[in-house]
Amino acid sequence: MIIGYICKYTPVKLLESMSIECVRIEPSYIDNGIAEAHMHPNVCTYVKGVLTEVFKGGYDGIILVNCCDSVRRLYDVLKNAEKGKMIYMLDLPRKSGDQSVAMYASEIKKLVQTFTDFYGKKFNAQDFIRYISTEQENAGQFNMPKGNDGIRLAIMGARCNSSLIDLLKKAGADEVLNYTCTGNLLNFKPLPDFSAGEQDIIEWYAGSLIRSIPCMRMADIDRRRDMLKDIMANVNGIVYHTIKFCEFYSYEYSYIKDNCRFPILKIETDFTQGSEGQLITRIGAFVESLKGSNNKVERPSHGTRKTIVAGIDSGSLSTDVVILDEDCNILSYSIVPTGASIVDSANKAFSQSLKRAGITPQDVSFIVSTGYGRINIPFANKQVTEITCHGKGAYFLNSNIRTIIDIGGQDSKVIRLDEDGNVVDFVMNDRCSAGTGRFLEVMAKALEIPLEKMGEEAEKATEDINITSICTVFAESEVISLIAQNKKRADIIKGLHNSVASKTIGLLDRLGRKGAYMMTGGVAKNRGVVEAIEQRIGDKVHIPAEPQMVGALGAAILALQEIKAKHVK
Amino acid sequence: MDLVDTYARWIKKNVDDPEMVRKLIILGLKAEHAYFSLFRDKQVPRSFNYLNKIGVEFILNPLIYRDQSAWVNLFAPTEILHAMDIYPLCIEAFSSFLVGFHCEDVYVDYAQRSGISDTLCSYHKGFIGAALTGLLPKPKFMITSSMLCDANISTFRYLSWYHHIPMYSIDVPLEYSQQSISYLEKQLREMVKMLEEATGKKMDEDKLKDVIKRENKIHAHMNRYIDALRYKCHPTTLTLEMYMLFINHTFMGTQPTLNFYEMLTNELDSFPHSRAKRVFWVHIVPFYPNALKRYFNYSHRYEILGLDLNFDYLEEMDYENPYRTLARKMLLNNNNGPYQRKVDSIMSIVDRLQPDGIIHFCQWGCKQSVGGMMLLKKALDERGIPFLALDGDGADRRNHHEGQINTRLEAFLEMLDK
Ligand code: SF4
Ligand code: SF4
Ligand code: SF4
Repeated sequence: MIIGYICKYTPVKLLESMSIECVRIEPSYIDNGIAEAHMHPNVCTYVKGVLTEVFKGGYDGIILVNCCDSVRRLYDVLKNAEKGKMIYMLDLPRKSGDQSVAMYASEIKKLVQTFTDFYGKKFNAQDFIRYISTEQENAGQFNMPKGNDGIRLAIMGARCNSSLIDLLKKAGADEVLNYTCTGNLLNFKPLPDFSAGEQDIIEWYAGSLIRSIPCMRMADIDRRRDMLKDIMANVNGIVYHTIKFCEFYSYEYSYIKDNCRFPILKIETDFTQGSEGQLITRIGAFVESLKGSNNKVERPSHGTRKTIVAGIDSGSLSTDVVILDEDCNILSYSIVPTGASIVDSANKAFSQSLKRAGITPQDVSFIVSTGYGRINIPFANKQVTEITCHGKGAYFLNSNIRTIIDIGGQDSKVIRLDEDGNVVDFVMNDRCSAGTGRFLEVMAKALEIPLEKMGEEAEKATEDINITSICTVFAESEVISLIAQNKKRADIIKGLHNSVASKTIGLLDRLGRKGAYMMTGGVAKNRGVVEAIEQRIGDKVHIPAEPQMVGALGAAILALQEIKAKHVK
Repeated sequence: MDLVDTYARWIKKNVDDPEMVRKLIILGLKAEHAYFSLFRDKQVPRSFNYLNKIGVEFILNPLIYRDQSAWVNLFAPTEILHAMDIYPLCIEAFSSFLVGFHCEDVYVDYAQRSGISDTLCSYHKGFIGAALTGLLPKPKFMITSSMLCDANISTFRYLSWYHHIPMYSIDVPLEYSQQSISYLEKQLREMVKMLEEATGKKMDEDKLKDVIKRENKIHAHMNRYIDALRYKCHPTTLTLEMYMLFINHTFMGTQPTLNFYEMLTNELDSFPHSRAKRVFWVHIVPFYPNALKRYFNYSHRYEILGLDLNFDYLEEMDYENPYRTLARKMLLNNNNGPYQRKVDSIMSIVDRLQPDGIIHFCQWGCKQSVGGMMLLKKALDERGIPFLALDGDGADRRNHHEGQINTRLEAFLEMLDK
């Protein structure tokens, strides 16, 4: 008999001692059709996944805990839809005093009784004691750092699955400690002896569960602050995980961010394995920033034949290549639109720039690739995230830069540099085209104006129009209705620029403001947006001659550093 | 309209000067209060004019008498505060007033920029923003219950850490049992001790009993009102419906609330028979959307009979055992426990009021209500009662899409008209 459960407070060991197999539900995908037919698009995505998973079948019963609003409603919906099955919800107290323990013990007893009634399974205190003592011997200590060198990350926040942990490792972490509700955070009090009766042993178990390190759903969470201290003493950085439409954890993130000076990166997922590409970039950049690379580009002395390197930025809209010589002179560059095939586009951009520099592929000693497509470039010697590359490139162009605002086609990001040009912090907008190049592109189409003409057109604006919708889809219909109201195109465009600017400022303010500023990416060419941003921050924003090339330039500089490092060795 | 916009512009310009904004808001509220004391809105019954006046008064008091105020959520047992002469400031009510002043966006954004999730209910985000910017004067205490939604404990704990102000979270179990009653009762007593320490005031149990006695009277009036609503009608506005929500919870058991219900039941006989299409509303109602105002405010053609949240507990309470009876009230509230309890209570009010249709408002970020909505729809479908779900946000205009609400609402009303 297989029972699905979700929460660490579920009395799993007790059920196992009654020979009931318990499996934690880890949905791998969400059927939005099912979720919307039975609930609403705005419930937590993990819950939508569980709903999908349970409907798929394979469980004889489900045990939930009244964890949160989404789970409470999941219970109601499952109870209604799966009439033949045992759908059970434990009423877990939020406090951990003696009375709470007694309450939870009663809840567990009721659960046991239900299993007896439903399936004829009996509970035996001595079996349980025997089972749990062997289990405890085998368990060992989880979440204890192994003490080896390298980058150690803690993952905190909303539940994470094993694939997210693997992803952190893929992104460069050497060790990952899981402090979410899927990590092992139980601490058992010493077992009562074998003669303990049913009531005693269930109370002991209820107490051990309820007094383990609390999740954010609990009312008394002071112990999480102690946990945080431990974590900070033991790891290099914290990856703070939140799940879409789960709010418990953003409060703690906000607290840590404002009160602890410790490297922290917030990521949001839907619990399943979507959006890996973007995540790995962000986590990779975070790990890179923890390693704190050496930034000084030492210009090598002249040799007989100059070393030549290349940087290639494979973005979602364009593929850019920069060729540098060892004195950091740009020999050539090229920008081609990224077509259906990343590799073809990369080949095209690379051969174009070689031709312009008048060299052959053999002349290039090292190539660093960056951007979304970086892992797919077959001829690159090394891959580095675009965050690090943008940092390098911008710092190289102007060493006063402390903040880079990059608005690309699909995403926007803000990167903070220290005096030495190291990336010390950054934020990216998550999976939403609001405030990106794509947003302006859609609006340009709706307004029937070429994208590159928008900045110029906005100068003719006379009236202030406020575009309130943040989401691209809604903003588009807002623009269409403004056209219908006969509003001037220039005014609408100015309104759009302001909307992109305020979204960007929102992102910037998550890091705090610090000049000098540089803007990179295609949107930097739009004077209207740049001015709107300048106005809001009351500071000048530097725009490089080729704002789209900064990533590729940074990659080329990194390539040069690689060569230099090899020579030193 | 334009006056409010100018006002909103002033407020937004002064966000960095919270004292100034607070003054502006208090001034605005006082003006509104004076207005309702002097002039009558002739389109709604007298009692509702009184409701408007006390609604404003209730929000003003904690802003003015800040050192005697406590922050609460809608389902906090404020009877205890009234007995101790402490002024409650309710999250949901204050955020609604921010919307009234057209300045909720800056406060919602402020909360989001501090790292608070954008999918959190905007009533909470607006309040958090107002607290973090210092617009809200620091209270003496905070009380929240785990009932209804998750946001409560999280928001209050966050703010209590931020401001270093004592708070109490009341953990309300889902099921009614002797054990859960005493668990709750014990918490209430513990809370009163903390309140006494934090405010220096003493709890006088006789006063608490008086509050509950008044509450019983109010419940009786409410029952009469519901029975009259079966046939009668009176014009109202969405704003007044929201005021009712606040007096029925945060100000339950107070003298002004009792006055209002007495006035109301005295007026019942004079209300005309209804010939309108009558809609019962589930969950909170946003008061600003034009589409809703156009059809429901002062209308004789379409009426809102009330919100389910307003009729969530109408039992006689045992005032001799005040703590126990308050514990019981929380446990047996229609919104506590499984969703089926809510469905059942809506069905019983449907039997009493016989509405022509039901509208469920899906508040942005409110998972406890939207998550079960399809179950309610199913139950109503079985009874052949028309159902409409509207998505939107009562506390942040930017999540409201006028066109979308308008089309859906019109189509629904056309359906009812047939
Ligand atoms: S958040 Fe807490 S209550 Fe919810 S599933 Fe995780 S451990 Fe359980
Ligand atoms: S991720 Fe958050 S909202 Fe979802 S089930 Fe867990 S605690 Fe609840
Ligand atoms: S609207 Fe919903 S989420 Fe918001 S405070 Fe009310 S119950 Fe909570």
